[in-house]
Amino acid sequence: MISFILNDKLIHTDKPAGMALLDFIRNEANLKGTKSGCREGDCGACTVIEGQLKNGKLIYGIIVSCLTPLGNIHGKHIVTIEGINMETPSPVQTALVEHNGTQCGFCTPGFVMSLTAFLLSDEHGFEKAREAIDGNICRCTGYKSIERAALEISEMKSGLQAGDKLNRLEQNGFIPVYFLSIPDRLKKIQSNREESHEGKLIIGGGTDLLVQQPDEVFEGKAKFLRRNRTNNGITFRSDFCSIGGEATVADIMQSEVLQQYFPKLPYYFKLISSTPVRNMATLAGNLVNASPIADLSIFFLALNADVHLTGENHNKRTVPLRKFFIGYKKLNKTDNEIVEKIFFQLPDENTYFNFEKVSKRQYLDIASVNSAISLKIKNNVIVDAHVSAGGVSPIPLYLKTASAFLINKEINVENIIKANTIAQKEISPISDIRGSADYKRLLLRQLTFTHFIEFIPDKISITKLLQTIKI
Amino acid sequence: MKKVKLPYGIPDYNLTEIVREIPNAEPPALPVNSKLKVIGKRVKRTDALAKVTGTAVFTADVYLPGMLYGKMFRADIPHARIKSIDVSAAKAHPGVFAIHIFKEMIEGANPKENNKKSGYPEVKYAGQPIVGVAAISMDIAEEAVNLIRVEYEPLEFVVDMDDARKPEAPLVYQTNVNQETSSGGEDIEEGLKSRGNVRGPATKSFYGGPRGNLKKGFAEADVIIERTYRTQVQTHCPLETHGVVVDYNRGNVTIYASTQSTKGTRNDFAKTFDLPKSKVRVISEFIGGGFGAKHTLGNFGVMAGHLSKQSGRPVKLMLDRKEEHVSAGNRPNSLQLMKVGAKKDGTLTALKLLSYGTAGVGLGSGVGNIAQAMYECPNFKMDQYDVFTNAGPGAAFRAPGNVQGAFALEQLIDELAERLDVDPLQLREKIDKSTIRKVQRERGTQLMNWKKPKKAGSDPGPVKKGIGVAQAHWPRFVNLDSTVEVRVMQDGAVEVRSAVQDIGTGTKTVLAQVVAEELGLKSADITVLIGDTLFPIGPPSGGSVVTGSITPPARNAAHKVKTKLIDLAAGELDTKAENIVVENSWFISKSDRSKKISFKNLAGKLRVEQITETASRSDDYGGFMIGTVGYEELGAVQFAEVSVDTETGFVKVDRIMAVHSCGRPINISQIESQINGGVIMGIAYALYEDRVMDKNTGHQMNPNLDQYKMPFSFEVPEIQIELIEEYGARSSTDATGIGEPANIATAAAVANAVYNAIGVRMTEIPITPARILAALGKI
Repeated sequence: MISFILNDKLIHTDKPAGMALLDFIRNEANLKGTKSGCREGDCGACTVIEGQLKNGKLIYGIIVSCLTPLGNIHGKHIVTIEGINMETPSPVQTALVEHNGTQCGFCTPGFVMSLTAFLLSDEHGFEKAREAIDGNICRCTGYKSIERAALEISEMKSGLQAGDKLNRLEQNGFIPVYFLSIPDRLKKIQSNREESHEGKLIIGGGTDLLVQQPDEVFEGKAKFLRRNRTNNGITFRSDFCSIGGEATVADIMQSEVLQQYFPKLPYYFKLISSTPVRNMATLAGNLVNASPIADLSIFFLALNADVHLTGENHNKRTVPLRKFFIGYKKLNKTDNEIVEKIFFQLPDENTYFNFEKVSKRQYLDIASVNSAISLKIKNNVIVDAHVSAGGVSPIPLYLKTASAFLINKEINVENIIKANTIAQKEISPISDIRGSADYKRLLLRQLTFTHFIEFIPDKISITKLLQTIKI
Repeated sequence: MKKVKLPYGIPDYNLTEIVREIPNAEPPALPVNSKLKVIGKRVKRTDALAKVTGTAVFTADVYLPGMLYGKMFRADIPHARIKSIDVSAAKAHPGVFAIHIFKEMIEGANPKENNKKSGYPEVKYAGQPIVGVAAISMDIAEEAVNLIRVEYEPLEFVVDMDDARKPEAPLVYQTNVNQETSSGGEDIEEGLKSRGNVRGPATKSFYGGPRGNLKKGFAEADVIIERTYRTQVQTHCPLETHGVVVDYNRGNVTIYASTQSTKGTRNDFAKTFDLPKSKVRVISEFIGGGFGAKHTLGNFGVMAGHLSKQSGRPVKLMLDRKEEHVSAGNRPNSLQLMKVGAKKDGTLTALKLLSYGTAGVGLGSGVGNIAQAMYECPNFKMDQYDVFTNAGPGAAFRAPGNVQGAFALEQLIDELAERLDVDPLQLREKIDKSTIRKVQRERGTQLMNWKKPKKAGSDPGPVKKGIGVAQAHWPRFVNLDSTVEVRVMQDGAVEVRSAVQDIGTGTKTVLAQVVAEELGLKSADITVLIGDTLFPIGPPSGGSVVTGSITPPARNAAHKVKTKLIDLAAGELDTKAENIVVENSWFISKSDRSKKISFKNLAGKLRVEQITETASRSDDYGGFMIGTVGYEELGAVQFAEVSVDTETGFVKVDRIMAVHSCGRPINISQIESQINGGVIMGIAYALYEDRVMDKNTGHQMNPNLDQYKMPFSFEVPEIQIELIEEYGARSSTDATGIGEPANIATAAAVANAVYNAIGVRMTEIPITPARILAALGKI
């Protein structure tokens, strides 16, 4: 039995835990305002708001209901467009009407939910309101009218007086009054929680599995990692960080402590997927998917992270991430083992870290090539180096030889070019829909150069690198 | 007929009045927008609230009691004869109510090529529907489809246009083929012969055939430029896929359809099932976009009809995203070989176009309309060939032909300007006879602070900026089969009825505005009921015809109702009808303004519960297509600013300035939204969207929204819009559409700006990072 609150209604359902939330909403609950556009999490027409208690606090964010298995929403509050309709339109709805933010209207409920979730979030300002709709496609309007509505909504939010957020939003007509009862009602479900289905299939966010194996997810008994999470699974101990396998991309991106160590973290992670998918997709899922261009794999490879696995009878073992990928979609992991967490040393003040990604479209695209680097510098000499690259081999690649080469080297144009030459020998890109092999080789060179230009722009310039490489 | 003085020309430029002879039933001239209260203003969409609350019911949301779910078995190989089809297991599957096997291919150019032995259609593309199943749930329908066994005799296939043109290529069709033009499509020349997979040349359009003598024209030229351009296949990707709910109901048929033409869907269905049109009702209240692909009943509609007829139950059949990409239409690709000759002063002496394009198993890949009509050139010839491939059929797509054609023509003209060492806008000043585009160029020049572009590729550093301009041309079509009914009820309620549909462009709202203006009311006072063939028939939403076709009869019908109300008011106020003026919902005596009666009170005096008037679109005042060929039609000028990273190849569009006209603007915010949408679709066409076919399997490699790249909000540049009012004295509203002109010039403007940035011509789209790097010789 799965229990959750759908808008104002408590639901107990014995529908399969692998059923897509979208199907439950449209066909079982008969709420037709949530639309189905692509069923792959790419268009945002099925966006709904998910509320969950974390450390006793009710946190709201958007998810795409087409890729959310019911098993992941036990104990949560799910809000559809019907759940925010009131006697008079909400300010979000009014802003979209006033600014002519609809054309055909099919995508509109999704935009309304994304902008409403922005109100429910702790974010402020126009840029954040714009980011809230980064997972919604509109084929008609060219987005301009929707952006004007987002601007007005962000200004309205900033104008709200301080105080309890839900109360303030309710008093100003942004959300219906029933929202105020949700925290207490969710606590009751939490205390009644049943054990999740144990099964062979382990589902993180479901953002890959529901696209690739919807039938298996639907029929198979599975363990749902995102069910009833009470914290983000990120802990720190002295110079080390541990991130639980069930942490979402958003959890990592929003971690204030991690942002201190990686100031550009929000920028890097903005290049990964869209807001709703980042709210769902887990670290373990991204690693276990074993995609050669998985952004998180590349990111943590350059941090030389360890993977902690838990198998049958709670047997635990640790594998360096660089030895976790052993072939195309093949892992150093048995079917019974799950990724419990990853563990890595945090960069100190002498460590430089960078992540780069090139794709056809700047945002919300799978990388053609991505790469990360971590360099520890002492007295102008590299004392430790880890470089990774995706999309250039059958696995997310730790550039072993290039990393080793950089150790005990000074950073100069010559060494950078040599590192690239070595890296080019380590990779084996293939031509596919994301680009030709030659193109990917060139991209890796450019990303390698970019890492160093970003690091010391006053010393390393693209002009110099290009002039030298021609010689 | 009566003589009427109407506004004529462009305000702040050459606005004057012109006398036209018009039918007696037509209302008096409408003054220019600055003197109106509702028309030409930023009026909110009448159906926006239904959309933002999610209560708007789309076809995808329709549920009828007893409804079954339909799913089609589709060929998974691109070319084959079907030897046998076994549906026994599917039929026996619990929950299955009906199964139908197509006897012929419904779409494409030649439906009649069957396997003579088996009687089954020949498979011509991967994804072609063959069998349909209706079951009590979607899951069961899908399970049943998986139980269908089809035995094929595979045939050689070809999905690449260049391969298909080779003499040894496998033939998609064995015989010469024709295709009935579907509403809204590129016009298709009848009776042309095929050689191999190549049909043509088509040399004519509604603008006529070749002009002058090319040989003579090129001999007179001082400069000749010859270039080859390529454009890709683009799919429509409306957010709501194609689909229907058909309730056959023993021949009293109701169809809910996500369609751009309620009329076309009704007529297709009546013809296919041999029913009188009066027995088929099509309802399309909300449509989740179309962009040209939703004009016909479609094979899925035919299938749903058979399944509903067989089962005796309503059947819903919506396509999924993959089916939408593969089988529901696309913009054909193009290979365009262009040659232009010009005098030193820019005068064009000859223009020649040779084009190939593939609409898969269909026809309609012509691109020559814009080259034929935009610029003055005495010697012109076009040879356009359709190339058949084993891929899903093309369909009309937002300015069919012109978007591809503009990409080539406007780069060629840009290159000519550079060769002649003149500003590209100056060259157009010389060769473009359109008055509206002249004014648009002037406004754009001011707003952009436009100067002759710097030398191409001259920016220092790896990120180079560029600026470009391109023009659009679109014929001003009108659909005279456009009828509107206006009702006034005793309580003062006003209702507008027409079968015309609103695919998101704002048709409901412009109808409310025009009727409100005529009756002296507010647009919120008007209830607009459209998208139902029980109402008077309206035009299809294609060719940018709707606003120009449906608003004049709406005004005319409202005017007829008003005339009756004025007569009634004259009696009530004891004066003559000529002495009544209608203002802000009051009927007032001009001679004694204290004598007046409100609209609501006057309606209460009606003898009958409601009065009703209908009007149909009359021909354009002075006859259709005033002026010389092309030049006075729908023009636009768009400017683009881009940044190109020459190390990663990444192109970023920084700004678009879109200068447009659409006759008399009816709703400013809706027009701007259409232009924004057209611009972003043009940017996506220039940079991202591309249907990729796998030559080895014949399947599309990216039938999804993950690898088929549409823009999200972060890809959208600054877009500035300048809208120029233009009065042509053509009808009682003098309005025209904007959907298509908005989309034509963008890709060419971006390509010209990219050239200005990097100094290398990108003659093929999409302009991907890899193509930029290849053009720069870096890979």
